[in-house]
Amino acid sequence: MISLPTECLFKIFNNLRNDYKSLFFSLLVNRQWCRIIVPILWSEPTVHFGNRKLIKIFLLTLNTEEQTSLIPFKIAFQNYQKPLFEYTSYITSVSDCLYNGIKNWLRHERHEIDCRLENAIKCSLISMFLRTSKNLKCLSLNGFNYNNIVFETLYKNTTIISIHYYTNDGFKFKAIEVLV
Amino acid sequence: MDNGTSNSASENETITLKSCDGIEFHIDARIANRYTLLNNWNGGESACIPNVNGKVLEKVLEWCEHHINDPQLNCGDDDSRRRNTIIEEWDENFLSCDQDMLFEIILAANYLEIKPLLDLGCKTVANMMKSKSPEEIRSAFNIDNDYTPEEEEQFRKENEWAEDY
Repeated sequence: MISLPTECLFKIFNNLRNDYKSLFFSLLVNRQWCRIIVPILWSEPTVHFGNRKLIKIFLLTLNTEEQTSLIPFKIAFQNYQKPLFEYTSYITSVSDCLYNGIKNWLRHERHEIDCRLENAIKCSLISMFLRTSKNLKCLSLNGFNYNNIVFETLYKNTTIISIHYYTNDGFKFKAIEVLV
Repeated sequence: MDNGTSNSASENETITLKSCDGIEFHIDARIANRYTLLNNWNGGESACIPNVNGKVLEKVLEWCEHHINDPQLNCGDDDSRRRNTIIEEWDENFLSCDQDMLFEIILAANYLEIKPLLDLGCKTVANMMKSKSPEEIRSAFNIDNDYTPEEEEQFRKENEWAEDY
């Protein structure tokens, strides 16, 4: 194949932006393609947030601090290899489906569905997104309970332009107040 | 009739382009005006195109001539156009050349900043990749796999969520 400059390859793969399967297959072709495709593939996982396999990668991206709140629930990560990329740095939008994904992951791992565990995972993942996703623009917090640490990180965030949230515990009010 | 283009050259005006291997083409001056392909064109009667050979330049100019009356897109239109992978029949036939030529056209369009042709070429290649396995893509485009087996397996695991649905 005649070698094309990176900007041309990017243009080619950008045409497949919504075709996740084709991007996935192309990513496995070689290292150069992988480096170009990963930022495209991971920018908007949309409905794939509901996929437990994606949730697993998110959990493996948690740092020690973010893992701390999951220790009482006996969720261990020691046996897994850290992901080869910091994939979450490319995410621009976190959708509602994340919360279904967490449920799917818990079910698959045969953890009891426990509201406290579910909420601890939500908090850890949202904190991780706020720490790693440098281009995060949209964040869905529907079904999320107010958490002080997340709230403080959100306060420092400068990239988010849209937050989806409905609940009656006053979090929305506080969040909007600091973001405005 | 004014079709929204800002060509100042008239229909009969021609200029001479010379490819890197010395082949001359007489083209409608509106083409040169329309694309910034002649960044170093000083408005004279001829210009040299380094980096593009005669065979490729001929194809590029054939495309430019066919599309000479297309309305020029503004940035917004261009973006929405780029997102769909539908290609008009004439363009599809035009680009159903051999693979080396297709890549040469992409390179030339990139170099000459003919954005619609570059987009079209990239779309065509993207369509060729659709739903193909990594092995099929490697063999179709003659690409070597430089992953170690462990690395490939790891990338497969980390991205396999994208295969579902």
